[in-house]
Amino acid sequence: MSGLTTGGIYAMVALGLVVVYRSTGHINFAHGELYMIGGFLAYSFITQLNIPYVAALPLAVAATFALGAATDRLIFRRLEHSHETTLVLATVGLSFMLKGISRFFWGGRGEYLTIPPIVDPAPIFVFGIPVLAQQLVVLVAAIVIMFACLLFFRLTIAGKMMQAVAENPLAAYLTGIRVEQVRTWTWGAGAAIAGAAGVLIAPLSLLTPDMGFSLLIKAFAATVLGGLGSVAGAIVGGFCVGLIESLAGGYVSSSLQDVSAFIIIMIVLIARPTGLFGAFRLRRA
Amino acid sequence: MPALETRAVSIAFGGNLVLDRVDLAVAEGTIHGIIGPNGAGKTTLLNVITGITPPNSGEILLHGRSIAGLKAHRIAAAGIRRTFQTSLLCKGMTVLENVMGGLHAKLRAGALAAAFGLPAVWRDERDAAEAAHAALAYVGADALAERDAGQLSFGQQRLVEIARALIAEPRVLLLDEPAVGLSPDRVTHLDALLRRIRDERGVTIVMIEHVIRLVVDVCDRITVMNLGRPIAEGTAAEVTRDAEVIEAYLGSGAHAVHSGA
Amino acid sequence: MNAFTRLVAVCFALAALLPLISNRYTLFIGDAMLVQIILAIGLNLLVGYAGLLAFMNGALFGVGAYALAVLHDGQHWPYWLALPVSGVVAMVIGVAIALPALRLSGLYLALATVAFAQFALWAFTHWDRVTGGPSGLKVTPTDFYPFPVSSETGQFYLSLLVAAAIFWLTRNLLRSRIGRAFVAIRESETAAEAMAIDVTRTKTLAYALAALYAGIAGGLFAPLLGLVVPESFDLFQVVFQFAMVVVGGMGSLAGSVLGAALMVWLQEGLRAFKDLQEIAFGGLILLTVLFLPGGVAGLLRARFGWREPLHRPTQRHQPHASA
Repeated sequence: MSGLTTGGIYAMVALGLVVVYRSTGHINFAHGELYMIGGFLAYSFITQLNIPYVAALPLAVAATFALGAATDRLIFRRLEHSHETTLVLATVGLSFMLKGISRFFWGGRGEYLTIPPIVDPAPIFVFGIPVLAQQLVVLVAAIVIMFACLLFFRLTIAGKMMQAVAENPLAAYLTGIRVEQVRTWTWGAGAAIAGAAGVLIAPLSLLTPDMGFSLLIKAFAATVLGGLGSVAGAIVGGFCVGLIESLAGGYVSSSLQDVSAFIIIMIVLIARPTGLFGAFRLRRA
Repeated sequence: MPALETRAVSIAFGGNLVLDRVDLAVAEGTIHGIIGPNGAGKTTLLNVITGITPPNSGEILLHGRSIAGLKAHRIAAAGIRRTFQTSLLCKGMTVLENVMGGLHAKLRAGALAAAFGLPAVWRDERDAAEAAHAALAYVGADALAERDAGQLSFGQQRLVEIARALIAEPRVLLLDEPAVGLSPDRVTHLDALLRRIRDERGVTIVMIEHVIRLVVDVCDRITVMNLGRPIAEGTAAEVTRDAEVIEAYLGSGAHAVHSGA
Repeated sequence: MNAFTRLVAVCFALAALLPLISNRYTLFIGDAMLVQIILAIGLNLLVGYAGLLAFMNGALFGVGAYALAVLHDGQHWPYWLALPVSGVVAMVIGVAIALPALRLSGLYLALATVAFAQFALWAFTHWDRVTGGPSGLKVTPTDFYPFPVSSETGQFYLSLLVAAAIFWLTRNLLRSRIGRAFVAIRESETAAEAMAIDVTRTKTLAYALAALYAGIAGGLFAPLLGLVVPESFDLFQVVFQFAMVVVGGMGSLAGSVLGAALMVWLQEGLRAFKDLQEIAFGGLILLTVLFLPGGVAGLLRARFGWREPLHRPTQRHQPHASA
């Protein structure tokens, strides 16, 4: 069960990654940090401002949305015409900056923060398997949020505009869509999804400024497994990685859990590089 | 034997049939034009010939040798060079270095020899630089040799790209819209250059172009493509009078408008 | 010799005087700078010249260091043999990781190398039998008999020699067809293929060289520190190494030297504020990329009109009107 829950979290973070990738063709190395900041913001809202969890979630999500949008506005727009490695390096620099700043505000290495559980920690029994109610809540919330995202992209105008810009920026531009603005929203949306995942995981795990990076690797593994650029692939991949990890940890060795993501990536790249759902576009035209 | 030949080459991208059983035969030492409306598959044909994407089916023969399915750099090394619609010159290198890049496959320096600065490598470099100057002079761009390739105008880029292709002494040269963005003077210069390449060096040239004046003037034969298929082939005079060609370009009912080349 | 090379040569020549006028601490910093210079040259070769992304340089640096500890201290190989072999070990591993992803887009490659960096750290920490786990391996200072120098001085001069040699060799390499091939791949792989460049093979060469340099740097670093521990090769290496290359100037050999020296100096300055280092280096990368794209080397080029072959273009590409 915990494999499913962590899988749900991975799926969410991977979804955010893919949303941005499809729209801009870039991988944001600071994506994990947005997840981490979401979690820390929730921590601050709950323990220091005494805002209830249910209100902390949308607040933290809004904050990470703003952060994602701001980074596009201030940084990535200016780098549009540079070599692709330049933008990636900028996100790397940003990632460490955010990590360092978070360490500064919320505590450093080896200081782990926790927030109080939101649901009674006694296990409930589903089909005879003991399950922490908390995990179930998080899993359900993750699924609901992802579903809402998919609906958003399909049904709302804003969502459709984002898709249009992702598919064919030039055509979108010619139909009057303000491509740069939509890109900013997309960065914001991707960041918000990651931030939401951070808020969801907060009651279940210890918060540290380094958690962003290890989650980024798992999100990578999820998208590589599912097929880079595929939204469904990212989600399915996320759950798969979560399950594989908990199986590896349970049956093989607990320390193997940490590196199953890397092993997954290498196996997929060697055996079936396009992943389960095929590549949407390996390179932008 | 034709210098370059495709037989029933087809390729589809995600359900779209972009090239539909294309047959093309280019005679040795001629200038062969490929024209057609946008979306006809002309650049795709060039990409398939040069190995950027392998065809789904069909044969591609270079002087009788099958090259379909070979990797792009091997095809280039086999004696067929090309230019691109948007000149792909390497910024950060001078024009001279760009042109010298065309000789990559013919230079023999391995990493170790190059790192140690062996005399053989220096000699190779010197010879390559000379050859690059000569190629630039041939196309009339030697004055640009020390400029950064990112600072050239469109017209200059095109010439440099041709020099880069020529330096390897290919037997077949593929040009993708070499005249785009050129002033009339430059087009005339290009016209003369293409003739010299054909006459002095015996190079077979295949040229995609939209500037009809140039095509009609310099091409020995022309193939017209539409929707992934060749719809006409022949001399300029034959092709411009072909009813199907006129319809492809101008739509039906435009026959009366046609007034000849 | 252009102005940049002269500058670097002068720096190296001055560095040769360092052991005569400094104390142990300064010598240590100087040696660390030389090690980082070697790393930075390799990384710049890969990212700046060939335009390929890789995040495993820190991990391969560690592989080189551990290999040296195992061969020199564990298996008692002489240092002059263990050092190059450590480099080769790192090279082999680096290529092995890059190979499966080479034919795919650069993004896959980057992702694979990031994951490998994390995996390597895990291996360094958990593979106790070989790596000594979290407490690492001790490395005895190198004995430079029959040269009449102390271990620290000998190590310094060795690093200086290796760094200068690598600078010179790489400079030659970049001035040959291989340097042009790297830049061609960076600017347009399609055009590179059309120029009959074997792109896959050239990319492999770039990765191999970066890995080799990292491994050699590791082999020089191990006796310098006297101890090889996993923390020396953690994620922070990524931002530190890229800061060297970006601030120094991507696609500039001299930039690697300058950037390495500057960043080591900065790190020493911030020794007391470990937590601020991440912000500093990350922020430096960001600011440099946004406001000084050519790095320090670009600044020197613009200010003094110095030229450098194959530098990375700094202005945005704007097509000019037709002639």
